[in-house]
Amino acid sequence: MSSLHRRSAWKLWLSGSGGAILIAAILYASTYPSSLYAGGDGKSEQKSDTSVSNPVKAQKLSGEDLYTIHCSRCHSQRYPKEWTPGQWKTLMMHMRVRANLPADQAREILKYMQEQSGN
Amino acid sequence: MRNYSLTIRVLAACSLISLCLPLRTIAEVSDEDFAKLKAMVEDLNTQVQTLKTTHEEDQATIEKLQQKVGRTEETAADAKQEATAATAAATAAAQATPAPSNATHDFMVVGDAEVQFGQVIHPNQHAAFTLADFAPIFLFRTADNVLFETGFDVTLSNNAPNGTGYATNIDLSFATLDYMYNDYLTAMLGQLLLPLGTYNERGAGWLNKFPDDPLSRQVLPENGAGIELRGAFPLGQEGQSLTYALFGVNGPSSVDTSSSANQLDLFGNVGVQSNGVQGNLHEHPAGGGRIGWFYPWKPNYDVELGISGEFGPWDNAQTSLWYAAVADAAVHISPFAEIKGEYMNTWVQSGDMGTIQPRGWWIQGGYKLAGLNLDVPFVSNIELVARYDTVKDGLLEGVGTGTDRISGGFVYYITNTLWFEGDYEWLHSYGPNALPSQAYIFQMSYGF
Repeated sequence: MSSLHRRSAWKLWLSGSGGAILIAAILYASTYPSSLYAGGDGKSEQKSDTSVSNPVKAQKLSGEDLYTIHCSRCHSQRYPKEWTPGQWKTLMMHMRVRANLPADQAREILKYMQEQSGN
Repeated sequence: MRNYSLTIRVLAACSLISLCLPLRTIAEVSDEDFAKLKAMVEDLNTQVQTLKTTHEEDQATIEKLQQKVGRTEETAADAKQEATAATAAATAAAQATPAPSNATHDFMVVGDAEVQFGQVIHPNQHAAFTLADFAPIFLFRTADNVLFETGFDVTLSNNAPNGTGYATNIDLSFATLDYMYNDYLTAMLGQLLLPLGTYNERGAGWLNKFPDDPLSRQVLPENGAGIELRGAFPLGQEGQSLTYALFGVNGPSSVDTSSSANQLDLFGNVGVQSNGVQGNLHEHPAGGGRIGWFYPWKPNYDVELGISGEFGPWDNAQTSLWYAAVADAAVHISPFAEIKGEYMNTWVQSGDMGTIQPRGWWIQGGYKLAGLNLDVPFVSNIELVARYDTVKDGLLEGVGTGTDRISGGFVYYITNTLWFEGDYEWLHSYGPNALPSQAYIFQMSYGF
């Protein structure tokens, strides 16, 4: 085969809604300017807020609500005092990528965990 | 004349008295005694003067001490005020938000570890500790938008097939450099956990509520070397979001370079080429992606749906394609109940058997007994779990292998990260690679 088979496979993939939506999403997302991951650092948070014109209104749920919503989907909740604010910053970057969390929601969760960490 | 005589008589009497009195005094106090008395009076006078001087000095001292006491009281009052203010400030500081770390670099280790004990009941085997697994994840943050993360699986398995005693394996599960370009786009480079369904990325040992993986996951690759773009868009105000992931990886390959169906190697298009050089066995990578929709209607009540897929050539001649489609779903109803599952179908174009379809699906439910509000010790720490999974290798009946499995088990939450798990499995398996029909496994899991 198999150019015929290969063409049919490409056609199957590209004609599927999944592929089209993914490509559209990538193109759409890449048009926004770079912003720092504002992980609890006020300076970088400010940069992020001012440099991105968010096309969708940021949600209004509290960091605690978002922590309950997202973290308990996959594992038992971790206690804020388990890590320092700086470690939470690193962990939330990891979890934002791994669980594909919206950036603004990840920031709210991070802010909540850092406030409650008490370290 | 009468008054004159009276005067004379009074004068005479007084003269008489005056003559008599000195004589009597002289008779009672001598000069010596007088001198003594005089000296005594002078001593007393001196002492009185001394006492007076001492008293005046004491008065002055008392005044000074009173002044000092006054100043001390003022100082004490000031100190009390300062202490009160300091206490209030300390309390306020303790209640205030801790200053976030301004360090631009951070390194930390998380991960999980497991130990298993199990037995195949039918056909009967001896029970044994069958697995020890240490799976650290190293995270290195080099900036606010750059993270390097890598995960290893170090396993110790008994009954090494080609050696004595045991075997130790070290696998690189993933190693990626993550660059967060903006809020909606993150680029990942390296060895990726492939987003085919959600189990790969969210099913690490201590997260899975069963000691073993769903059988159907074996028709899909776990990871691949390449690049991935991913991100999420919030929808509305209630935490809803749309997520995407798009990747290109080396993809599957052929063990012996041919397109024979049983030579498919899902785990890497890298090996020793015919010219002896290490590299891609064929030049075409594989590509794929996932889109997902997450909708929470309130905390602990949510649904997530996703579709994903991958495709690419797999034999060295690049004449045969491998592709996969996966659908995943997860529902949480209260903090105590969840249901999740995946369906996966793959197509393997082969030179000897045409197109075969290795496929399977699994569904799993769990309920935490804390939801019953029973006042019984230990019971609230238990979650009951059940799973059904099935897999077929796609070959014709009589040649192919398939397995259906029903599993029932529990998770006992010793802490939020230390779990004791166990399950009993009933299997119906057929074909040349059929599995045993009954087994149990216990596992201690720790997430750190």
